[in-house]
Amino acid sequence: MGKDIQVSTSHRNDIAVISIKGDVTAVTGEVIGSAYQNNNVTNAPKILLQFDKDCYINSGGLASLIDIASEGRKKAQKIHAYGLSDHFQKIFHMVGLTRCIPVFPTEEAAMENF
Amino acid sequence: MEQLSELQLPNILGAEKLAIKKAVSIARKMGFRKDRIEDLKTALAEACINAIEHGNKFAENTKVGVTFASNDTSLQVVVHDEGEGVDPGKIPTERTAEDGLPRRRGYGVFLISNLVNEFSFEKKPGQRNEVKMLMHLNG
Repeated sequence: MGKDIQVSTSHRNDIAVISIKGDVTAVTGEVIGSAYQNNNVTNAPKILLQFDKDCYINSGGLASLIDIASEGRKKAQKIHAYGLSDHFQKIFHMVGLTRCIPVFPTEEAAMENF
Repeated sequence: MEQLSELQLPNILGAEKLAIKKAVSIARKMGFRKDRIEDLKTALAEACINAIEHGNKFAENTKVGVTFASNDTSLQVVVHDEGEGVDPGKIPTERTAEDGLPRRRGYGVFLISNLVNEFSFEKKPGQRNEVKMLMHLNG
């Protein structure tokens, strides 16, 4: 099965934005991890994960996001997320990921609360 | 329970999406709410991934089977693999790692058990390893 994902990065002042469209799995998580390791992103004090509301996330993908949260904590980065469907917001809460990556309903809310 | 459909999936990560597509079609016809269909999609995906990874151990010459059956009130989905079965006592239950972050792995069974109404493992000697999930229409 292919890597059904599109990941792009951009900046808004001191916030690095990682836009994720498609499947977030153990396989595609490597693509997200590579985007995070980009110097302009991994050294930013604030990271915004922008999800597509139709994305599919499985436990392998959650592991990849936990890896980013773990690295972010070591660097004292703030990581926020938005764009998730109600279902995946629930999944983030269930596994405890919202303790380290708070999820917001809109981009504005995610940016304002850094 | 009336059997509705049976699928044989290749033992490759990503194949679970074929089962999800079928599950969505059946659940919509049965009248499940949209949020319950999302729960079913995630639970079924995790059961298939566990079968591919832990049951069949990524062996390309194996298959994962998925059967759907229903009655007036419930949808039953059974995922079976060709593996040795699961010792429920060895499934990690701790959700938090030493650094206070969520543990990196081991969410499959946790998610399944929290998203479906009933859930069980079954392994009979000489037979296939099964994970059985039941979703109630009004659950």
